Amino acid sequence: MKTITFKQKKTSSIALEFDELIPDEIYTWGESDFNKYEVPIGNSRFPLTDYFDIKVEGEAESPDEVKMIINGDLNRVKYIGCKMSGGEILCNSSVDLHVGAEMSGGTIIVDGNAAAHAGREMSGGYLEIKGNTKEFTGASYIGEWRGMTGGEIIVHGNAGKQCGECLSGGKITVLGNCDILAGIHMSKGVMEIQGDVNRWPGGQMKNGTIVINGKLGRLLEGFVFDEVVDNPDIEGKVYDGRFIKYTGDIGLNGKGTLLINADVNRDKLGEYGESDDEYTSIREYRNL
Amino acid sequence: MAYEEPITDYDEIVENCTCAFCGCNCDDLDYLVKDGHVVGVRHACRLGASKIMEDMDQRLIVPMVRDDNGELKEVDWDTALDKAAEYIANSIRPVMYGWSETSTECMKEGLALGEYIGAVLDNQATICHGPSLQAVQNAGYPIQTLGEVQNRADVCVYSGSNAMNSHPRHLARYSVFCRGFFRSRGRFDRTVVTMDPKFTDTAKMSDKWIGFEQNGDYGFYNAIRAVLKGKELSQDVISGIPKEDIYELVEEMKNAEFGVLFFGLGLTHTLSKQRNIDIAIKMVQDLNKFSKWGLTPMRGHFNVNGFNIFMAFETGFPFGVDFARGYARYVLGETNTIDLLTRGEPDVFLVIAADPGAHFPNKANQHLAKIPVIQIDIHWGPSTELADVVLPGSFIGVECGGTSYRMDGVLIFMKKAIDKPETCRDDEWIVRELKERVMKLRKEPNVAPEYIPNPAAQ
Ligand code: SF4
Repeated sequence: MKTITFKQKKTSSIALEFDELIPDEIYTWGESDFNKYEVPIGNSRFPLTDYFDIKVEGEAESPDEVKMIINGDLNRVKYIGCKMSGGEILCNSSVDLHVGAEMSGGTIIVDGNAAAHAGREMSGGYLEIKGNTKEFTGASYIGEWRGMTGGEIIVHGNAGKQCGECLSGGKITVLGNCDILAGIHMSKGVMEIQGDVNRWPGGQMKNGTIVINGKLGRLLEGFVFDEVVDNPDIEGKVYDGRFIKYTGDIGLNGKGTLLINADVNRDKLGEYGESDDEYTSIREYRNL
Repeated sequence: MAYEEPITDYDEIVENCTCAFCGCNCDDLDYLVKDGHVVGVRHACRLGASKIMEDMDQRLIVPMVRDDNGELKEVDWDTALDKAAEYIANSIRPVMYGWSETSTECMKEGLALGEYIGAVLDNQATICHGPSLQAVQNAGYPIQTLGEVQNRADVCVYSGSNAMNSHPRHLARYSVFCRGFFRSRGRFDRTVVTMDPKFTDTAKMSDKWIGFEQNGDYGFYNAIRAVLKGKELSQDVISGIPKEDIYELVEEMKNAEFGVLFFGLGLTHTLSKQRNIDIAIKMVQDLNKFSKWGLTPMRGHFNVNGFNIFMAFETGFPFGVDFARGYARYVLGETNTIDLLTRGEPDVFLVIAADPGAHFPNKANQHLAKIPVIQIDIHWGPSTELADVVLPGSFIGVECGGTSYRMDGVLIFMKKAIDKPETCRDDEWIVRELKERVMKLRKEPNVAPEYIPNPAAQ
């Protein structure tokens, strides 16, 4: 087992790009290799040792035997663990964009918040973020229809807009709240949201399952009420309680499942949508 | 509006000029020229005419460099260009922003410079139709030319766009009031629908106004798609619109002979951003099962579309293209100017034919105040106050020729009508000069390194 510890010496206003510093690339490296390495910053490269002290302990035969511990303020360090296939990365700070993007294996633990695109298009492995994430967690690259295809993301805090966009496999769990359009264009996999969702989860979803345990603001018309289910079992996990089950998005003949907690969302069980008062006043206003 | 006397005191008329204001690129203008200045413009709207008739009070005439006391001082071209080249050559995270009000020929020089130095090249799409470009990458682009609209369209929908104010001749020349081959009675042969939370001037002249609530766009379009699939709406009111109105609208859209959806920033910059456009494109695709439908983004600046087309052709990405690592990268939220500036990353900012000082968020401008800013423009503006080097360019379509792309992607050559002031230079020349000087200062181009950290792992 090889443990590589990064201790920050100074920060940079321009982000450092860590996509080359993944277990797959550095499992054979000793301290002298790190001393020679120059990290990309903007359009240039600078010695990594200007920014981090690096200590290497033990030996590794494969990326799986590498543990990277990165200490310091990583708010301007992006692409941590990008494309890694094995090993472990522990970040003792909030991190910048693209943490765990396109990873296919291994583990990343972020003891803080993550900026946008965390776990973008990951196909395997485990990404745990102890704080909040910004937009596009587990999402796809612009123009791509497949986002995350495998692996697991756990966000302990809240997730930003379009979390799980184009989710095509794997599981995303958000223990806090989710912003708009969670699971938009989803085609496979599971999204579990323990907190509230403000509006429109599952827009244009084709398949897969979204479970919302908290309060749902607005539901899209593309979802059709199916039934009320008790203790649904989704891919081996039983969710306690009563859930309203919808199918959608009908706009593209989608067969996705949206389960929302029936006790918290009682209003959705009776009439849908806005109250009669609002409906009447809008009709009156438009007839003026 | 006060009556204005027609202009009769002019030396010559230069015919068939092209307006360099909005994305309509009206190419039927006549300039009235006297003593080498445009004193009147025929056929243009007030927006275009006021831009074309030079305002010499605000015209940038000479190159300037900010001195140690913070004052802009007149210098010769060599001094200004050397200073700008020095800033660019020594930069680590340069951003080159603007390009929407200059010619495509100038963009070519800009791309060569940006690629050489490893800069981010971005344009105004980053604050206007960027979400449309992202959605197009996802969902496709069912577009038609404005000529087709003029000759065929019988239903024109304006969504989140107040064309009467932003593109005044759009309705008159291309879509609503004009007569076309199959629409010989002009306005009487067309139905106009405006979808906008505000009762805008465009809404006032429309046959139907759908005043959905602010930020309700995505839910509204989703409901239309559901109805097109034959679903009975379960909610009485969707995004502030009673369901009966949605059924009625869908019927009208299905029965169109040739429908067009024009959309503006009211759709691209509400809550769901690119996903609004994505679902609007999907709706247009659904409508094509019943009738013929297309869409066109209402692009703002006259060549903002040109930069996106040019960059997509050359690099594969339409805007926010980052060459820092020696190859083109484009990531939403990472390589866009506003994100870069608010994160405090750029160390040099070149602005050409744009005014970030007037349009950018405060935090972005605060960062611009801290770093060297090079401005290439024809007019004094808030960005000049932020600039450290000012390089006066020339006015495309008036003082020099050049090509631009209309909002529907039609290429238009904009001809020269008068001479530029003697001390000004063409934008294309300025950027080419900068590139040559930067190449002398920074001998090595920024290319992707061949160095692979661990060959054994490949
Ligand atoms: S509509 Fe646009 S292009 Fe046409 S004259 Fe007016 S400002 Fe110029």
